[in-house]
Amino acid sequence: MKPNKKAIARHFRAVLITGTALYLIPVDYISPVQAASCCGGGSASSLVLPKFSKAMIDISMDYEHYTGSWDGNGSWSAEPRDLNQYRINMGYAHRLTPNWQASVTLPYVFNQNEYSSGERNTNGIGDGTASIWYEAFDKISCVWDVNSWEDLMPAIYMGGTLTVPTGISPYDDIVKDADITGRGVYRLDASILIDKTIYPWNMSIGASYGKHLERPVNRELGVYVPPRHKQLGDRFNSNISFGYTYFTDEMESITGTVAYAVLREDETKIDGAIDTTSGFRKESVSATLAWATENRDWVYKLTYSHTPSRDSWGEDFATTDVITVGVSHVLR
Amino acid sequence: MFYVKTIQNFLLLVIFTFTLSACDIEDDLHPSSNDQSTQNIIADDFTVKDIYNNDFVLYDHLTIGANTSPADVVVLYFTMYCPICTADTAHIFNTVMPQFSTRGTVAYVLVDYLSGSVSTAYDYAVANGVSNPDFFTVLADIDNIVENQFNGAMGITVVIASDGTVLMHEEYNSNNLFDTLDQYLP
Repeated sequence: MKPNKKAIARHFRAVLITGTALYLIPVDYISPVQAASCCGGGSASSLVLPKFSKAMIDISMDYEHYTGSWDGNGSWSAEPRDLNQYRINMGYAHRLTPNWQASVTLPYVFNQNEYSSGERNTNGIGDGTASIWYEAFDKISCVWDVNSWEDLMPAIYMGGTLTVPTGISPYDDIVKDADITGRGVYRLDASILIDKTIYPWNMSIGASYGKHLERPVNRELGVYVPPRHKQLGDRFNSNISFGYTYFTDEMESITGTVAYAVLREDETKIDGAIDTTSGFRKESVSATLAWATENRDWVYKLTYSHTPSRDSWGEDFATTDVITVGVSHVLR
Repeated sequence: MFYVKTIQNFLLLVIFTFTLSACDIEDDLHPSSNDQSTQNIIADDFTVKDIYNNDFVLYDHLTIGANTSPADVVVLYFTMYCPICTADTAHIFNTVMPQFSTRGTVAYVLVDYLSGSVSTAYDYAVANGVSNPDFFTVLADIDNIVENQFNGAMGITVVIASDGTVLMHEEYNSNNLFDTLDQYLP
């Protein structure tokens, strides 16, 4: 028997979830990865806990393959070498109060690069994150029918994320550039996520603004340099996604989501002077398939993120394809 | 009871954050302010094939050596043709070269330290538009001779004066490169 809307609605009230917020926010949205193992490290994602849930454990694996890069004019060229990064991401989210939640994530990064001269493989902990989110809504905002203006109210999340330089950075005691698994600086991101579900459809938009903290540096890429202060450029990230949820007879849900993201990082400052060769921009698209069990306590996810291999979709940045598989376990 | 729970949860948050922060931040976030850079040493001579299979001998370009192809300054740039490398190379070509084109002789040398063969290095140089020897000499550092001497990595830039003194040795920094060339060139 096909479940009807009211049955599903009752079921949903019982399990108390908030639609797509159950799922991991895409990597490129909250904690964008400074791509290539050749130019930066890995970072895990931020987690957002479903409304009324106590905690969530998330484990995912990324496989990122480098397909090419854009130059400063946005002209794309292919990457003939076999450059890859694998990441195992671990995350935990915890509810603090009915409207506040916090989470931490930590990736372990494997760089696997094959050049004509041979392979260079390294691994290490990437940059971790600690986030805190405020939910500017008191009850579940997912609806089946719009009967009043109130039904159009979205779920609004406002948050802050601190990226902690737990990885191996270019300013660390490294031997080769392939050793890098992190960026070596703290970053504070302020984020907003607006999510609305009118079943079976969902739409969300998000934005974050991040500021890197300045740090002293006395070596770069394994070479001692005259001491200086370095501050990476501010980051702006925006994202829009659309999703559709299908419910099985057993009340399990399968949600497909497509997303588009834009990431921009301003130029770096060295001792207050702008480094005109730094900064980048990239656009990416992604598709996610998420399967949630009847009680929504287990969610299995598969994401394919693609950076278009075309001119003008980015500047001074690598293009990559990322496949992510993960599972979240929600504790109620 | 609610407040006890709230305090308990915030304490948990502090513990999470502390745990993450203490998660072996290997990087020294407050390194010594003493200058430990290797500038002002004398560069060792090396001989490496360029992408046209010619020998490039560093000291041939310096007054302390044969000085058969004299240059006031030799600029080495380590490239793996990543986005950072191509941005820096474009900056050298578009901004640095024109700025100092009338001030002495500068040998701009790109060091391909990853391609593993002269032919592959040639292919990469052509694909990335830097194969014209009128602008750049591209070295195929097959045996990692230059890489090992200067601890080369993507973007590492070395400026060597005609007497062999290393004037600059760091990740590409356009302002420092400008200052270094400006101070040294006639």
